[in-house]
Amino acid sequence: MDQQPQGVSENYANPKTCFFHVLFKAAALAFYILSALFVNNFVIIFVITVLLAALDFWVVKNVSGRILVGLRWWNEINDEGESVWKFECLDGESLARMNKKDSWLFWWTLYLTAAAWIILGIFSLIRLQADYLLVIGVCLSLSIANIVGFTKCNKDAKKNIQDWTRNALLSGTVRSHLQSAFGV
Amino acid sequence: MAHSLHPSSARSDMDEIETLARAAPSQSQQVAAVLPAARPASPPRASIPVSSSAPPALPLATAKLPFSAVVPASSAPASGPIIAVPIASDGFGGGPEPAANTLTEPVWDTVKRDLHRVVSNLQLVVFPNPFREDPGKALRDWDLWGPFFFIVSLGLILSWSATAAKSQVFAVAFALLAAGAIILTLNVLLLGGHIIFFQSLSLLGYCLFPLDVGALICMLKDSVILKIVVVTVTLAWSSWAAYPFMSAAVNPRRKALALYPVFLMYVSVGCLIIAID
Repeated sequence: MDQQPQGVSENYANPKTCFFHVLFKAAALAFYILSALFVNNFVIIFVITVLLAALDFWVVKNVSGRILVGLRWWNEINDEGESVWKFECLDGESLARMNKKDSWLFWWTLYLTAAAWIILGIFSLIRLQADYLLVIGVCLSLSIANIVGFTKCNKDAKKNIQDWTRNALLSGTVRSHLQSAFGV
Repeated sequence: MAHSLHPSSARSDMDEIETLARAAPSQSQQVAAVLPAARPASPPRASIPVSSSAPPALPLATAKLPFSAVVPASSAPASGPIIAVPIASDGFGGGPEPAANTLTEPVWDTVKRDLHRVVSNLQLVVFPNPFREDPGKALRDWDLWGPFFFIVSLGLILSWSATAAKSQVFAVAFALLAAGAIILTLNVLLLGGHIIFFQSLSLLGYCLFPLDVGALICMLKDSVILKIVVVTVTLAWSSWAAYPFMSAAVNPRRKALALYPVFLMYVSVGCLIIAID
């Protein structure tokens, strides 16, 4: 993996992760669409599609979220027995250094997959196929869960980046003023 | 607050960023923060699909981090209005050095940890220890992989056993079990019980394990008497497994109201297993 100079990213910094990020999503969608043509057994379609969607959920949540965009979210039950959702992101400087292409791929595939499932759901609705709606319901809820979780992290992440860049600029200006003032 | 590991040169920069982004970071948190930038971290914790994961060092880390988005789920009716404090914490749950190792662990370790969690949850729930002090605590580390596999496998077994309308049987079994778990959880919440939504889903899913075993036996041997006996035994086992958690969650006068629907659902699944032809 080449390390491009900071600020210039022409290649994906983590091609293997990007590949896996896209792999399970594409596999679930492709299997669902193609199997309706070739396989006549609903049970197999259901089990394999939902399994692929669940694997994709895990990969995005645990692997590509951290590596591609530096975000993480999870749920904990604390000692009082209350459920607590945690959203974390890298600190501002590391975030700013994340590869732009990676995060572009991450977010766009996330949104596109959800949109694809919605469209497939509309088709099933039109054809009044309740059992296929079940499959789509499960896959869609998994996609949306990831989108919501990472969007919540991302809001914090954006704020963090802004804070950091503002401070970097501020102290940069202050420092240069001081240096010129003292002739260093 | 030494940050010798941080690549920034001016200490004042760091201090400013510090005060804005977080307070009381520790040396090791900086390590964790720098590590991901230097080498993209591999998955820190297992969570499939939506599971809580608390690696050993995390409780320490979260204690140090002053801001983490704490959004208490509205599942506990006793809690007040939802407080959302969406401020990102820095690093990935820093903490002492061991946590950094968890963050960069290879994927295989994560998978192993997840499998271990599924197995331990299964043992806790399905082979209950009558002398356990606090049943409500047992599924703190809930995960949904176990329930997913048990529901799907029960649907598959029922579908294989059926001679006609196989896909309908599967779809009905899956929808019945999934919707049933959700409704049972809502029932407990509406009765004023204290239970976490996902924890309860996870519990009810794990308690399906005995019925899975029963259904498998029924599929292999085709005698009606055997089926009735096996289903009754596994049904009692499932209900007995679910009992401590459900009864601990509601106040004693409403125990029957919470437990009866659970029993009813397992009885209906049992009837489905017997009647499958």
